[in-house]
Amino acid sequence: MLGVMFGVTVFIFQAGLLTGLQNYFIDKTVNTTAHVHIYNEVRTARPHVISRYIDTTSRWVVVRNQKPREEARRVRNGTQIISDIQKDPRVEGVAPFLGLQGIYRLGMSQQAGSLAGVDILREDQLFKVKENMIAGDLLRMETLPNGIILGAGLAEKLGATIDNSIIVISSKGVSLDMKVVGISKTGITLQDNTRAYISLRNAQRLLQQSGSYITDINVRLRDVDLSESVAREYQTRYGYRAEDWKAANANVFGIFRIQNMTVTFVIISILVVSGFGIFNILMTIIYEKMPDIAILKAMGYRDRDISQIFLIESLAIGITGGLFGLLLGFLASKIVGMIPLNIQGFVSVQYLVINFNPLFYMAAFAFALISTTVAGYFPARKAARFDPVEIIRSR
Amino acid sequence: MNHTMISAQHVTKRFTEPVEFVVLDDVSIDVQKGEFVVLVGPSGSGKTTLMYTLSTLDTEYDGDIEIDNTTIRSLSKNQLATFRNTMIGFVFQFHYLLPDFTVLENVMLPAQRLGIWSEEEMEHRAMEKLALLGVADQASKKSNKLSGGQQQRVAIARALVNEPKILFGDEPTGNLDTKNTDIVLDILQDLKTEFNQTILMVTHDTAFARRADRIISIRDGRIVE
Ligand SMILES: Nc1ncnc2c1ncn2[C@@H]1O[C@H](COP(=O)(O)OP(=O)(O)OP(=O)(O)O)[C@@H](O)[C@H]1O
Ligand SMILES: [Mg+2]
Repeated sequence: MLGVMFGVTVFIFQAGLLTGLQNYFIDKTVNTTAHVHIYNEVRTARPHVISRYIDTTSRWVVVRNQKPREEARRVRNGTQIISDIQKDPRVEGVAPFLGLQGIYRLGMSQQAGSLAGVDILREDQLFKVKENMIAGDLLRMETLPNGIILGAGLAEKLGATIDNSIIVISSKGVSLDMKVVGISKTGITLQDNTRAYISLRNAQRLLQQSGSYITDINVRLRDVDLSESVAREYQTRYGYRAEDWKAANANVFGIFRIQNMTVTFVIISILVVSGFGIFNILMTIIYEKMPDIAILKAMGYRDRDISQIFLIESLAIGITGGLFGLLLGFLASKIVGMIPLNIQGFVSVQYLVINFNPLFYMAAFAFALISTTVAGYFPARKAARFDPVEIIRSR
Repeated sequence: MNHTMISAQHVTKRFTEPVEFVVLDDVSIDVQKGEFVVLVGPSGSGKTTLMYTLSTLDTEYDGDIEIDNTTIRSLSKNQLATFRNTMIGFVFQFHYLLPDFTVLENVMLPAQRLGIWSEEEMEHRAMEKLALLGVADQASKKSNKLSGGQQQRVAIARALVNEPKILFGDEPTGNLDTKNTDIVLDILQDLKTEFNQTILMVTHDTAFARRADRIISIRDGRIVE
């Protein structure tokens, strides 16, 4: 019974812990990555111009040191695409994005990072920028021409606080004076450590580009489950790469899959071990009860009556062990969920997020019943097949 | 009116392990309704084996056995169990009471398998049998709290609760002192005289044998009169 109990406990605890963490991550990801992300996939290996004019199948043509075309990452007619997508009833919000690498400097401290040129109000509609802000005021991005919102980790490394002036330098060598108007913390460590928001206009200036230059369009849908099909649709409609959020995080989902598999195997082995435990106990019991079985058979109990008795017995073990396991698993989850910890990994969390999905509880209980029934089946069958003559004779 | 309760014709039984060995050699027996028969013979002569075969517990033999005009061989395993439940009561040398159950619960077990009486009816019948054997006052005790003699009497009550046609026994007094043996023997004789109960018992005990209507002697698997 203890075996079943612990099996169920571990099942619930592990499943709750793992999926809790995963759901937390997915939640964060859904809120911080676009459901559909449209961008211009840079093809570095562009077919060289010569191949357009000369048949290269019968000739060797070598072009050395071909450079990627400038503006390759640009999404042309971005404004038009955005207003077009805006009309789609499935879309909750759409925002332009201009990403670039840059260096932040505050006095002597200097950090490299990525800058996100955004329309802050649209961005907020998509990614809840305001909710994630731990200091400052989102609206000052609109009112100040040179506002910047720093990721929490970045701000810390720079030693920057609200209203500090920092210098941002782009790869084009353009530098701008910016004023810190906010600090945001998404919980996704990589973003918080490198990312800053600036206005679209400033981003374009840093890249010495005109006012229509953007590199990405982010879309948030009313129904996140439509991401994949909408992405496919946009990709064919606009001719740019459109990626849904799951594809964008494919590597993480791969890790999840491996985690889930590992835990499944752990749980299965626990249940198998506890199943063998029950099997052993019942085997011992039926040998102890051999005289009882013999007399019951002599007085006219059928084989199936006997096996029923032992099946019911093992089922009782399964039910009680299962119920206690459910309770213990729930308590363990609750307690662990209250232990404060600060983990900086993929995502940063203060407490372990535990999933209390009732489905786990049902599944764990079902597994307990199945494993005890299977474990009880063979002893029960054995008990039914005892020959009463042999038992009574040997007394 | 003569009514044959048990009819065994040319029953032969052999064990093949460890060596081929004939335990019962062409045994034929008739037992009439209401007869009190004892089976005697030296140790190893095949008394217990014969009792098991006649009482349907052992089904591997050559020859034919009929009980109350039913050919045992024609019954399936489950039918045989039901047949035993309604027709036959057993008393062994050891009482085989279930230790975790009360005396009353133990006596009710065959009735529960029968499943034709209500709970109260079963209880009533069980109490009746316990009273008949003089152990009604022990009904609510756990069966392992009783003395050996009491336990054996409870076992007899259990054997009788479904009103079987035949009561079989294998040295039912083998573990009892003379006083308790006498009590059990008195009860068996009462059953015969008052209820016309058919009884077949295996015994070593000469006092026991003296009370029977008929003594069947067996030696090396053969009946010697
Ligand atoms: N399962 C078996 N396999 C082989 N031989 C057996 C088996 N059961 C009994 N025997 C043998 O059959 C013979 C008869 O045994 P049985 O128990 O019928 O004797 P019994 O007359 O009841 O003896 P006792 O008075 O000692 O109880 C014995 O020699 C015994 O060793
Ligand atoms: Mg014997």
